[in-house]
Amino acid sequence: MIPSLFIGFYSLYVNYEPEFLNIKVFTMWNDGLMESNKANFTLIENNVLNEILGILIIVSSMFVAFSRQEIEDEFIEKIRLESLVWATYLNYVVLLLAMIFVYDLSFFTIMTINMFTILFFFIIRFNWELFKLKKASKNEE
Amino acid sequence: MKNSIKVERAKNNWTQAKLAEQAKVSRQTINAMELGKYAPSIVLALKLAELFETTVNELFTLDESDWV
Repeated sequence: MIPSLFIGFYSLYVNYEPEFLNIKVFTMWNDGLMESNKANFTLIENNVLNEILGILIIVSSMFVAFSRQEIEDEFIEKIRLESLVWATYLNYVVLLLAMIFVYDLSFFTIMTINMFTILFFFIIRFNWELFKLKKASKNEE
Repeated sequence: MKNSIKVERAKNNWTQAKLAEQAKVSRQTINAMELGKYAPSIVLALKLAELFETTVNELFTLDESDWV
């Protein structure tokens, strides 16, 4: 998860798209905003670095976020659900603020990052709650 | 909701960890219930009552704040 994040941010930042990752991919919908080839349900040329990184980030974060705890009981499950709701709210609050205060391409960048932040917010909040619980129950015998 | 888990635990001389193990939940869950931070599911409440050889009604009681 960490390495894919790192490369992800780097490639987003410097627009890094290595040649060897230019391959033909199948597309269902392509309105040709970025490129001139406009056609649906065909093969187009595309750099797949961002696709690979996106998949890596999502899958690895899902593993981190949703793997079971040592003892996964109903209380942990409740915290999990609460954290997920909380993360969803926070994610949209961030997006709303970005809509109001950020424009043009910077907004597009924030939107790109916003796709993934919901999982990160969840991971942070869930583990924080678990940490608090463990600390609270430590001083009891 | 109030509960007498701590009292029952003391009667049996069980630690939180031992009760947690028998009820197949984490120790944090027992702790949170004793502190009144978490209302268990009906299944867990029934399990606890059975472990303490009492009834759910005796283990858990409503208090004023539940009616607000």
